[in-house]
Amino acid sequence: MTEGQTIGRAWHAGPAAPAVELREVSREYGRGDAKVRALDGVSIGFPAGSWTAVMGPSGSGKSTLLHCAAGLEKASGGRVLLRGQDITSAPDSALTALRRHTVGFVFQTFNLVGSLTAEQNVALPLKLARRTVSRQAVREVLEAVGLADRLRHRPRELSGGQQQRVAIARAMVTRPAVLFADEPTGALDSASARTVLQLLRTMVDSAGQTIVMVTHDPAAAARADAVVFLSDGRIVDQALRPSAREVADRLARLEG
Amino acid sequence: MPGIAFSNFREHRRLFTGAILAVALGVALMQASLSMMAAVSEARIPAGLSGQARERIRDAYAGAATLLGMTVMLAGFLALFIVGSTFAFTVAQRRRELALLRLAGGSRPQLVVLLLAEAALLGAVGAAAGVLLGVPGTWAQAWLLAAFGFLPGAVAPALNGGIMLASACVGFTVALFGVLAAARRAALVRPLEALRDTGRAARVMTVARWVFGLSSLAFVIWLVAAAQTGRVDVLGALLIAMAVSVVGAVALSLLSPLVVPLVGGLLGLALRRSILGEIAQANLRDAVRRSASTAAPLIVLVSLVVGLMGTLASLGRMGGEEQKRIVAGDLVVDSTGAQASRIAAVPGVAVASPQATVPIAVTVGRRAYRRTYYSGIVAVDPSAYRQTYRRAPRSGSLAALRGRTIAVGPGLSEEGLRRGGVAVARIGGQGVRLRIVAVMAPVLENGADGFLLPRELVPADVMAKAPTRTVIQVMPGTAPSAVAARIRAAGIGTVRSLADWADDEADRQQKGNEAIFAVLVGLGGLYAAVAVVNAVVIAGAERKTEFAVVRLTGMSRPQVVRMALIEAAAVTAIGLLLGLLVAAGALAGIGAAAVRAVGTPLVAVPWELLGLLVPGAFIVTAVASAWSTLSATRVPPVALATARE
Repeated sequence: MTEGQTIGRAWHAGPAAPAVELREVSREYGRGDAKVRALDGVSIGFPAGSWTAVMGPSGSGKSTLLHCAAGLEKASGGRVLLRGQDITSAPDSALTALRRHTVGFVFQTFNLVGSLTAEQNVALPLKLARRTVSRQAVREVLEAVGLADRLRHRPRELSGGQQQRVAIARAMVTRPAVLFADEPTGALDSASARTVLQLLRTMVDSAGQTIVMVTHDPAAAARADAVVFLSDGRIVDQALRPSAREVADRLARLEG
Repeated sequence: MPGIAFSNFREHRRLFTGAILAVALGVALMQASLSMMAAVSEARIPAGLSGQARERIRDAYAGAATLLGMTVMLAGFLALFIVGSTFAFTVAQRRRELALLRLAGGSRPQLVVLLLAEAALLGAVGAAAGVLLGVPGTWAQAWLLAAFGFLPGAVAPALNGGIMLASACVGFTVALFGVLAAARRAALVRPLEALRDTGRAARVMTVARWVFGLSSLAFVIWLVAAAQTGRVDVLGALLIAMAVSVVGAVALSLLSPLVVPLVGGLLGLALRRSILGEIAQANLRDAVRRSASTAAPLIVLVSLVVGLMGTLASLGRMGGEEQKRIVAGDLVVDSTGAQASRIAAVPGVAVASPQATVPIAVTVGRRAYRRTYYSGIVAVDPSAYRQTYRRAPRSGSLAALRGRTIAVGPGLSEEGLRRGGVAVARIGGQGVRLRIVAVMAPVLENGADGFLLPRELVPADVMAKAPTRTVIQVMPGTAPSAVAARIRAAGIGTVRSLADWADDEADRQQKGNEAIFAVLVGLGGLYAAVAVVNAVVIAGAERKTEFAVVRLTGMSRPQVVRMALIEAAAVTAIGLLLGLLVAAGALAGIGAAAVRAVGTPLVAVPWELLGLLVPGAFIVTAVASAWSTLSATRVPPVALATARE
């Protein structure tokens, strides 16, 4: 019915089965005159083993899309499927289990627990899931993000880039099916941002990680396999492996 | 989970300091009080004392035990209150951190366990500190009780492992119970809140708070209204006043998130004159939880101590007023029995009713119900007594008080002794069986006479030495002051007008109450100070960013401190005002009861206590908020306004 949905389906029909799928998802905030429709019947599939960037002007519904897809927010309408499982009206216990085993999060504000060391922060999801925590495994993950020498540092003793790499390590330690990233480079200097993006790229290429990333930064989006553009709660455009310039142009068109 | 709890505990030391202090104080007080209670109960009454002296010592021990028991209860209640409010506050502050744990896969039960583990750590640290503090605390309390005259002599409390363990366990349990409500709230934190700057505006007024707050308030209003009706006697009014003080304090502190901004709006009319005042008032309205957390301990303190103390003081005054009405006399003379025998001969004296407190033991009841009274045994001249005492006996007649008879005095009229019963008095080493011929009506006064017996039963030498109070009516047309002067000139004891005597008696009783209250108010004040400083300090840490922002818009550091001081003063004023409102509600019932009992709305407002409490509260909040604001504004504002983590 709209351009956005056709595009969504096209991406849905991509190379692999979708890890996450949204069907006619809408999300409304407020009531009466103050009602805001953040998502307006969005249908899209995010293929397993690929990296999708979601872009759009401020207020286009990017973050809401991410939150609904990850089960952090309930959709007002439509259905959300995570690895084929319908999570639209899952109870809290099911969503908790989901966060433990199926999804991982990385955010612009690194959201590390200030009182715990890097090592403890990474081990946290495993401990919460009551899984046996092998020190070795935790160290390997931190090594993989290049922080083997920062195990015992607390977040405030680390730079922004290092904190974000700890956050990525924490998200990856449970080997989630999908990694959700919300502006992961938004608070970083360009050198740190490049390191983090390279890390994500490697995870997709070598381990077949599925990543859904919301970003403002065309350079970051250009590292993804596909870019989806959102405007006023609808998917309006899409590009496969675009360059940073292409992304910037399309975004400029949307905002203009 | 214990590992995370430990890390959090270390990280948030400052948040928890107040609660640890409260638990430690509670445990120390409990240990000290229990040790003293044990020492008092084991204390031997020295041999070779008269029955009267033994009874006095036993009464003193019983009084001390009551006071100690009240201290234990107060310490427990206040520690629970402070731990509860501290955790409620820290949960509100740590919403983002808790949401983060949910995001990383933490379940709701795990969050509850985390908070319980934190409380357990806090309780353990507090209890350990309390046990150590309790040792010098016990010595201090022993000294205080002796110094205030609650104990006849020094009591040496021993260190008792059982008591230490029990106190520590209570402290630990209080910490766990205190956290329950907060833990439930923490479990409701949604993972998404970790991603938002402020989180969903945390609702301060929860459903439970509404329900409990409103139902307590309704109950208090009903009590205050009920106290105004004629069906409530003085004892009922006393109980109602106490209930109003306690439940009212709970109701207003539960509803304080609603009431504080409301009263703040009224105060705002005065504050709005200056820009600092205007911002302070806006903050007051906006930071509901912070304002309420500071005001609540003040509400509790003021309503409890002012309400209870005012109630007891009013009761004492009422007792005095009642005496003025019951006793028909112009003058009261305190002297020995020998001196008293000369009073009747003084010119101008129409009636002299000598009442001699005699060292005679009276035993009533049989077997298990047997009881011996040593004090309050008064030998009277029955006919003179009847002329000077207006209230008729509840049963029987004082006219029958002749020969081997006895009357139950107003002080024991509620003990169930009946007319026609038998009492055995030990007079001059012999047991004498006396028939109870009358039971007097009860009075409000504390420590009224226990038994009245005719003078002729008591040997003359005993009568001569007995301390005697003589109520005197002067001849018609004679000035009481002239008669008083003559008695003084004759060198017979101390002479007072009836009114002076009744007031002095009420004051003497009041002094006893005040000593008890000095101890309890001191404790309550200490706890309230801990709670208020705790709230202010926790809030100060939270406000770093807020302060940075106002400084970036052009406010100087001294201006920020002044703004915080205005806020603190306003919150203190509101807390005191609401506490006084509850106290006024409690005293209104007493006033109504006084109108019915003695004809005037006698209410004793404890002005001295207020004179200490009000400036004390302002000083504590001002110092705490100035200090926390200064320490929160030490860092340059730019560094803070942009920092997130």
